[in-house]
Amino acid sequence: MEKRSIKRFAAVCLAGVVIFSLAACGKKENSGANLITSEKEKKEVVRLFGPMEKSDPDAANVARTATDMTVIMAEEKLGIQVEYKTYTAENYQEKTYDDVTLERARNQMDDLYLLNPDTIQILGEEGKLLDLSELESAKNLREVVKIANTVDGKLVAIPQEVVAHGLFVNKEMFDQYGLKLPETPEDFLECCRVFQENGIETPVGANRWWLENFVFAQAYADLYNGKNTAAEIEALNTGKSKYSDYMRPGFEFLQELIDKGYIDAKAAYTSEAIDGEGPDFLAQKTPIVMAYWGAANTKTAYGDPDFEMQVIGFPSKRGQMPVVSMTGYGISKEAEHLEDAKSLLNEMLSDEALLVYTKTNRVISPSKNVEVDCIPALKPLNDKIKENVYVLGSNAGMKVEQWGNTCLIVRDLLNGATVDECMEKFDRLQEESLKE
Amino acid sequence: MKKQQKNGGQNKGKVLLCSIITVFCLLGAFVFVMSQKISEEMSSSAIQNLSESLDLMKGTIEAILRKEAEFQKLMAQEIAVLPDPVEFVRSYQKSQSIVKVSLIMEGETEGISNIGELFSKEELDFSSGKTVDGLPVSEAYVNYMGTWAYSIQCPVTKDGRQIASLYVEYIYDSFEKSLPDGFYNGQARLYVMDANSERMILKPKGMGERDAGHLNLKDFYRANKISEETLIEEVSACVKNGENILFYHNIRGKRALNYMWAVNDGSLFLIGYVPVEAIQQEGKSVNQNMFTVVFVMLAAFFLCCLLYYFSQRQQNKVRKEREEEREIYNKQLAQALQAAQIASKSKTMFLSNMSHDIRTPMNAVLGFTSLLALNAENSAKVKEYTKKIMASGQHLLSLINDVLDVSKIESGKVVLNFEEFTLNDLVSSVDAIIRPMASVKHQNFHVRVTGIHHEYLMGDETRMNQIIINLLSNAVKYTQEGGNIWFRIIGLKQRSSQYEHIRIEVEDDGYGMTPEYLETIFDAFTRAENSTTNKVQGTGLGMAITKSIVELMGGTIQVFSEVEKGSLFRVELEFRIPEERMDETFWENSGISKMLVLDSDLESGRSIRNLMKDSGIFVELAASLKEALEQMKMNEEGQEKYQLVLFGWDPEDEKNLQTAKKLREFVSPEVPILLLASYDEKGIEAAIEMENMGILAKPFFESALKEKISELKAWQKAEKQQEPGKEDRLEGLHFLAAEDNEINAEILEEILKLEGASCEIVENGQLAVERFARANEGEFDAILMDVQMPVLNGYDATRAIRALEREDAKKIPIIAMTANAFAEDEKEALEAGMNLHLAKPVDIATLKKVIQEFV
Repeated sequence: MEKRSIKRFAAVCLAGVVIFSLAACGKKENSGANLITSEKEKKEVVRLFGPMEKSDPDAANVARTATDMTVIMAEEKLGIQVEYKTYTAENYQEKTYDDVTLERARNQMDDLYLLNPDTIQILGEEGKLLDLSELESAKNLREVVKIANTVDGKLVAIPQEVVAHGLFVNKEMFDQYGLKLPETPEDFLECCRVFQENGIETPVGANRWWLENFVFAQAYADLYNGKNTAAEIEALNTGKSKYSDYMRPGFEFLQELIDKGYIDAKAAYTSEAIDGEGPDFLAQKTPIVMAYWGAANTKTAYGDPDFEMQVIGFPSKRGQMPVVSMTGYGISKEAEHLEDAKSLLNEMLSDEALLVYTKTNRVISPSKNVEVDCIPALKPLNDKIKENVYVLGSNAGMKVEQWGNTCLIVRDLLNGATVDECMEKFDRLQEESLKE
Repeated sequence: MKKQQKNGGQNKGKVLLCSIITVFCLLGAFVFVMSQKISEEMSSSAIQNLSESLDLMKGTIEAILRKEAEFQKLMAQEIAVLPDPVEFVRSYQKSQSIVKVSLIMEGETEGISNIGELFSKEELDFSSGKTVDGLPVSEAYVNYMGTWAYSIQCPVTKDGRQIASLYVEYIYDSFEKSLPDGFYNGQARLYVMDANSERMILKPKGMGERDAGHLNLKDFYRANKISEETLIEEVSACVKNGENILFYHNIRGKRALNYMWAVNDGSLFLIGYVPVEAIQQEGKSVNQNMFTVVFVMLAAFFLCCLLYYFSQRQQNKVRKEREEEREIYNKQLAQALQAAQIASKSKTMFLSNMSHDIRTPMNAVLGFTSLLALNAENSAKVKEYTKKIMASGQHLLSLINDVLDVSKIESGKVVLNFEEFTLNDLVSSVDAIIRPMASVKHQNFHVRVTGIHHEYLMGDETRMNQIIINLLSNAVKYTQEGGNIWFRIIGLKQRSSQYEHIRIEVEDDGYGMTPEYLETIFDAFTRAENSTTNKVQGTGLGMAITKSIVELMGGTIQVFSEVEKGSLFRVELEFRIPEERMDETFWENSGISKMLVLDSDLESGRSIRNLMKDSGIFVELAASLKEALEQMKMNEEGQEKYQLVLFGWDPEDEKNLQTAKKLREFVSPEVPILLLASYDEKGIEAAIEMENMGILAKPFFESALKEKISELKAWQKAEKQQEPGKEDRLEGLHFLAAEDNEINAEILEEILKLEGASCEIVENGQLAVERFARANEGEFDAILMDVQMPVLNGYDATRAIRALEREDAKKIPIIAMTANAFAEDEKEALEAGMNLHLAKPVDIATLKKVIQEFV
């Protein structure tokens, strides 16, 4: 019986193999004469201009991962293709990225641009950028984002992340000397004094990039947290108020820090960000440094300290003050693919896309609807931002570009210039802006 | 030999296996080589294709450059003839490729451009010396539009004199539309590099990774980990010399073919890489298909091998089974042949024996018949000769009976005739036959019955007789003179209440048998032969018949024997116990309700009590005369006296007779005293002379006791009523005998005449019927009927007679007298309506007995 079953099974298998073999020999005739079976689907293209970042060997470019993820989401949703155009200067003699951006935007070379604060301001003033306030995603933006990217009443750029700078402090050292975390410049000076008296000669670790945050915190604490922000900016833009008047307290404060040895000006002038002051801070030799939000999340920066670290705002008369700056995406007003570019940007800035971006890079989202838990160390800074207490390090609405210019002038101070000389530079810049 | 064959088979298998492995190795090597070759060819072809693609792109770019140069020359010619060349330039509208047009008049350092800016030659670098269609072409630079551009310088000549230089700026982005939208299925990477600055100036869409870019050649090396100095030097040399180069190098962990393809004499380079897997995709596909085909073929081959293997295994199995079967058949055939040879030998021997055995008595018959004829006058000799003739004839008859029995058993025609019988009858008849035989040889014959619960049993008494007599007669035959023979009937534990389980043992201390002979003792036509037994006569069929009958009865027979020590035959049988007994009132009628057993062997006494337990008679035992007398005294005083006394005659005790006398004296004369003994015990004759004393043959059976009681009573009665000697004769009786054989008829007539009877002979059954029909009522006292007769046989004749409408037709005794001597013949005779069956030759004593019984 069993043998018979095996024989039957073998016969069925054999028949199956024969049928399969015969079927495999068959060939389907082409129904038509055209041998091209399908053509590539032509997609609408949106050209995106951004800086080219050097890729690591044997690795995909990680720096743009989060942005790429949102681009891919938008591409899939809209059925369009984003074509990257990039530029990065090889050396100081070549045109800067901002220069090229301006030229390309002015010649309508691309549809979408990733713009630095100064180019946002310039192109916004030139009317080259589209008003993005009509975008659906723009409705979800935080107020700070809108303020920072509004030129002549038009929202000309929108960022994918809000970059907040703050003071990174060693809480344990503050506790050790019975010090409260500083709220005002006076508090800060007192803390530095106590630290210095206790053998910490240079309580503040600094580099040549981020000391300007002390200046912004003191200069614009009232401007951005008062009720007359627009009027005050307007007064500055029209020359009724002077930038130097705003900036002076901050510069004098920095000068005092330098004079009392709380900051090593020479070391700061030659130090790159984190590389210079970071090791001493992590070794608990320096209780105070300054850095951007992401440094607290990054292991190669301050992501893994051996002590209790807290990130707080810079001292101002209004208390701790985070300094916020941002880059943003703008659309050429005369873009070849204007509608597609608008749709693309709308999707890239949707809450869904920003959630992906924010989770990937663990930053503050420009959308008020997107909240990602931050690490405990960032909580003081995050709380302030949530309370809308901050100053902007860059503001497209101001005719004098803030972030870059202030940075350069602080370097002058570090290099030995007086506060008055620095203020003169601001006055000159304001005068030039008024001429335009 | 077999081992050698096996080794040979194993070696063959190994050779075959090695051959297959070798073939597969060769096939594998061939496939590998072929796949390598295909890969190489495909790779070479792919490189060729890549080269062609790059050449095509190169040609396209160069064509664009040439067209641009040609167009620029035409433009210069037109400007040369224009009255206001500056206005022409200023009013020139930029296009997708020409984005800036500038003119510097001869002898000036600055000129004008169509975008309204002042133009200086210093802005451009023509130091590389590269040209397009003879016109100098500048290094790449980022133009006012923020994109990579180049300018071509063209002299504006009028009347053979250069009046100005025309600079036209072109953007590299314009190449993009002329280049393919990705190749090698989008896996290839392509950049356009300016040779002089080694800057990447174009990354056509679809031909570069979206998430990575290369700033310059150095960055290309760094990002792709190209760090080999010799390679970098070689590449640099090629770039410098405007030569093409292709080289393999891993890109992101994958082997890739890197290329640097010079365009426009090396002013530009197409740079990029294609992963090898993309290049060899077709080759890989071919190889995969080839491997698939090979795999399928191998699978098919292995499948075939598997099927072949299973088929072979199956065939081997079948072959092996057949061989085994054949071996069994051969063995069986050999055994059968051996058996046949043995049988043949046995039969030959049997015939020889039979020839001898038949001739011997026949010789005696004939010899003594001759002597009888010569000495007819001498009555003493006549008696002696006739006695010997009789003995020889009887021996001859037994021989014939045995042969017929075997023949009957072998042909399966034996039918058992189940009837009620008593062990007493069985033992008595056996004893009556064997004891005289044993006495002749001065052998002691011991009979013992123990443990029997039921004496009346259902079975074929005749066959039982046959079994026991066969065994006992053999024991007598094969035991030397003065030896001992034991005959035991032992009651075994009943397996069922309806069956009596008995064992019959026949033991002797005679010659014994060899183990070899024991193996064939139950085979037909064998007979123990040695110097001692050669003189013993027999057919050699007895044991075969015995065994067959035992098995037919559902029993078993075993034999144990040792040479010179004796033999023991053990037969075990089960007999059904009859449900009802007709003579249950015998004891009541006989007036016996209490008896005394005097036996020094108490075991024997208990056995008697056991056998009598169902009879209702109270049995008391006494081991000695004294004890017996005491008990009798006590009884005398009591209300109930003994109505019967049994006295166990001890052959060893010399005071038996005295004891008997004392018993007789003490017991009242009307109470019978029975001596439990053998008939040939010493002194017993004197004992039975005493009044109302008789012998009850050992062993004790209730039926024997009943019979003896009846006999005693009948004797007492007859003594009073009849004259002695008359009952032995058939005086005055008249028979009708149907016998077709004249001699037999004559013998019968003579015998009956000697007994004072007469008979009328008829030749067949038909005549017998007719004769009886004609006869007067009471004319014939009985009919003696042969069975095998012409016209009408005995059975049919009997039926016809019984069917006659005569009053005496149903009553008249019809006695079968036939040579058909088997039990089934007897059964048939009785069924036909005959009263009795007598086998020929008719024994006169038996005839007399049965006639007296029925007539």
